[in-house]
Amino acid sequence: MKKFLKYLSPFAPDQSGACGVFYEFGGLIVICDAGGCAGNICGFDEPRWFDKKSAVFSAGLRDMDAIMGRDDKLIEKLSKAYEQLGGNFALIVSTPVPAVIATDMKSLERMGEKKLGIPCIALDCTGTHFYDNGEEKAWLRLFETFAKDVLPKVKGKTGILGATPMETGYRNFSSLKALLEQNGYENTLLFSMGTTLDDVRKASECEKNIVVSLSALKTAKYLEEKFGIPYEICYPFIPEEIKDKITGVKSENTLIIRSQIAANEVRKLINDPDADCFTFFGFEKSLSSSNDKALTGEDDLTELLKAKKYDCIIADSEIEKLTRDAGFEGEFIDYPEFAISGRGFDFTQFI
Amino acid sequence: MENAFYKTAADIVREGYDKLPDELVSSKHLIYSSPATLSFNSPGAKGFGVKRAGLAVPESVMLLVSPGCCGRNTSLFRSSPEYKDRFFFQLLDDTDIVTGRHLMKINDAVKEMLESLDKRPSAIMICITCVDALLGTDMERICRKVTETHSIPCVACYMYALTREKRLSPMAHVRTSVYSLLEKQKRENRDMNILGFFTSLNDNSEIYTLLKDSGIKNIRELARCQTFDEYKELSKANFNLVLNPEARHAALDMQKRLSIPFIEMLRLYQPDKIHNQYRLLKDAIGASFDDTPYYEETKKIISDFKEKHGKLNFAVGEILNGDAIEIALMLVKEGFRVECVFATVGELNYSFLKKLAELSPDTKIYSNLSPTMLNYAKDDVDCYIGSDCLYYFPDKPGIEWCEDTEPFGYRGVNDLFNALDEALSRK
Repeated sequence: MKKFLKYLSPFAPDQSGACGVFYEFGGLIVICDAGGCAGNICGFDEPRWFDKKSAVFSAGLRDMDAIMGRDDKLIEKLSKAYEQLGGNFALIVSTPVPAVIATDMKSLERMGEKKLGIPCIALDCTGTHFYDNGEEKAWLRLFETFAKDVLPKVKGKTGILGATPMETGYRNFSSLKALLEQNGYENTLLFSMGTTLDDVRKASECEKNIVVSLSALKTAKYLEEKFGIPYEICYPFIPEEIKDKITGVKSENTLIIRSQIAANEVRKLINDPDADCFTFFGFEKSLSSSNDKALTGEDDLTELLKAKKYDCIIADSEIEKLTRDAGFEGEFIDYPEFAISGRGFDFTQFI
Repeated sequence: MENAFYKTAADIVREGYDKLPDELVSSKHLIYSSPATLSFNSPGAKGFGVKRAGLAVPESVMLLVSPGCCGRNTSLFRSSPEYKDRFFFQLLDDTDIVTGRHLMKINDAVKEMLESLDKRPSAIMICITCVDALLGTDMERICRKVTETHSIPCVACYMYALTREKRLSPMAHVRTSVYSLLEKQKRENRDMNILGFFTSLNDNSEIYTLLKDSGIKNIRELARCQTFDEYKELSKANFNLVLNPEARHAALDMQKRLSIPFIEMLRLYQPDKIHNQYRLLKDAIGASFDDTPYYEETKKIISDFKEKHGKLNFAVGEILNGDAIEIALMLVKEGFRVECVFATVGELNYSFLKKLAELSPDTKIYSNLSPTMLNYAKDDVDCYIGSDCLYYFPDKPGIEWCEDTEPFGYRGVNDLFNALDEALSRK
């Protein structure tokens, strides 16, 4: 049955992805929910939350707010928080409740800007899509809103697009920076981690962008068109311990399950162009090989595993039981994917 | 940037409950999301939310019917042995939300669940969320259909965060749901149930001894039922003892359906009030137990603690097994100081606040949920009680006091002071 999970827990949703992009930029972030979504985003999907304060709030919607569509009440609350705390911008992220009552997010955005006098961004998330969908909207709006000026290029300056904790499994800027240096990337700016809104405003200074997540590809194309910044697609964030496990794998038929750009990088690392890459998340045909697939769910993966015999699977261990029940008998190499299991590389879940 | 908002206990009481400042009323401001508020926004992340609570029925399994986001944090506890193979998800897409077609697929999902399990479960708990609250889904009807089709009990659990401040909150409702599978049977004179929590009381609580001394033979708790057969015995009780107001609706339902009357007590930490409650319990059930030795023991433990550690200055939080304001009041009555309390002021604890205002008027009352808590600057305290306080005072000695096992009665107080003693001795 489609959309039915018996092995896996639901993956990171779009609202978590949207928040992760804006988390460090000093704005007021309002999750337009009754509380549970904010709890899930912060308590589970945002590993920076425990030690890096950010002004993330729940709108605290109640049934009558939803039934009556009290947008003005939300803007009043937002305005009060702005008076108390200030902020560079306001971000309103929708969730299933505003999706069901068809809240006009554009109108909320206009109302917020008018009342607060600072940029206000409203992102249309529904909780039914995955993190990459929310990230894609967030990346684009971030640069559309703040990267306005055309500045002279700074020699060697390289922007990294898409490197959120959700995508990479790293919550510390320093961990990612170290991996970039190991891979020969100097003078880099990791947008959304360890950078400020000023860095975004000066995005046009970059000579090149590196796209590490499909969710940032649209933004890279936008920046190329607007500022003439070329981009390269690669994934320099595969941890050493994973590289150690996957290099030297002897397998006739290998399957890699991960977000597409990272999966492609693994395929390169194991030097096996015939390996198949599947992903539960965004899928770009032009970046795929002939047998690569976008998975629609557990049943889809089960069918594919029954149809083709693999010797080795590289994926988050949360998926292993499903693969075994589908008849897979080969070697399973665990490569944690935060959006699936909530596991990362430089932290453990703190709850 | 404003400092964290607080009012002293005296200021609040002077204005009165009807004039609580907006910053202390969660519906009047955005709700700050910090580690100190996790239990408010996501009760299931720590402790029990609706999903985990629904599975309190032994050998049951749960189908969560919702957008993916509502079940995201389930992997936190899904892998633990007691929940293995007990959670299933039917995810909603945009079309489901618009058309409500997901409701037609629930029977198929249940069929797949049953086929995938080695052992037939005792019941199917179907958990639905805000989306179905807004769609006006009649889940009771769907549960009846599941029961008809698959010949298995099916119960709805409502994870409606939108209604959390209603009189029948989601956590109160799920307490009713988990007892709803009980069927009327002959009541036994010397049997009783303890209602209120999803885990059992601490084994060492004197309440067990006192009740046994009064002639009670079987004291049952939902959390101690290992099998569905044991669960069914809950309806043999002669009376229910309700220890948490959130279980009152469940007790009323059991009174109506199963003719089991109930008595209410509160979990308190003031020894004199515990003594008084036991006196009232004795009168209500016509027992003759004597709780004085326990009372004296507790008074001595507190006195020894005070002698050893002096007149400590406390911070008390609300993420703990108890009521923050009542614990603060107990500390003040026992001769300690309470610098600050992080609490949600409600009808029930306002009476404790009034007394606190008399005895310690300058105690500061903060709301964890206020956006201004982003700027909270630490108060000067010696130690803390509460998981939220651990976030505010990571460098101070203290205890989280929110273990799964529930403290109760004098022994709960003893354990609290013993745990504090241990934390302070480690310093």
